[in-house]
Amino acid sequence: MRFMEARPDGRAVVYAHIQADPLVARAAGLLAEADTTQRLMARAVMNGESPDPATWRTIFPTLFGPAAPLPGDPVRDRSEAVLEVSLLVADRGDQTRSQFRGAIVESLTERLLSARTGPVRRERRILFDGRPTEIHPYDVTVEREGAGEAWDCKWGARGIKPDVLHQLDDARRGAADEGERLLAGLVVFDARRSCEVRLVRVRGPVAPDSVKLVALEGLDRLAGRKPA
Amino acid sequence: MPVTIADLIALALTGFDVLTVTAEPIEDEYQYVTDLGTVWRARLRAVADARGTEPAPPGTVEAVTALVEEAGRVTDPHRAIDWLSTLPQVTLAAFDEPA
Repeated sequence: MRFMEARPDGRAVVYAHIQADPLVARAAGLLAEADTTQRLMARAVMNGESPDPATWRTIFPTLFGPAAPLPGDPVRDRSEAVLEVSLLVADRGDQTRSQFRGAIVESLTERLLSARTGPVRRERRILFDGRPTEIHPYDVTVEREGAGEAWDCKWGARGIKPDVLHQLDDARRGAADEGERLLAGLVVFDARRSCEVRLVRVRGPVAPDSVKLVALEGLDRLAGRKPA
Repeated sequence: MPVTIADLIALALTGFDVLTVTAEPIEDEYQYVTDLGTVWRARLRAVADARGTEPAPPGTVEAVTALVEEAGRVTDPHRAIDWLSTLPQVTLAAFDEPA
């Protein structure tokens, strides 16, 4: 089993500009330290219609309401920062914000994994002896001897599709055939409940426990932390 | 009579209904939309059964009202499908309930 650089295609070249945008790094940095409700707010705002921060402060009383930490408290300040950066993403327009959201989930995954293990790489292929190379690279990989990981990242549960599951399962089986261990999984910035109903319908021939699912509530597990 | 958690969950479910209608044109996702309805309605009703008679916590009347209004602003069916997952989560977060 070998990891290698993916040859960039046209989509990758365009997407690289999005990935390199400072807004992606800023959002991912804030979300890496955020709690589950702050991450949920980011999901709602980045997918929302209202550009008014006051609307979102009203919608999240546990972050901004009478019982929430006061301004100046680090948790409250992080909530404000997550709201601000999420509105900037939402302001990018439908097509662009969709690309930003995907890039943010990938960058967030990279940061969380890096807190636990390494080396962590992006957009990599995995090669196995006697097997054809998969067309699409894996979003994030951990290229650690004897403890490799391959992750695909999705903004929402709707991104869970048969081909995605098949590719992850194929990588895991390819590693097993070579006597290696590879953890293959999906990181989805959406509720576990929604991911599970999606998985039930699209799993196809992929065995139930062969692909690990990390949903929004459990993102801190990527970093080896208990969910906040 | 004070507003209860059951009242607000009933309100949230009206927002969910609106999103379901908005999502209807995406025929390929009919099953997923149906599945989301099944699991999230059940989760919200479970909270209503367990805590429905409790008075609404501070800020939650305004929160759920604003949330349902936001759901009503969604006109894109693809975004509505995403919101069918988001709206219940946000509602539950307002009551400090896990998704």
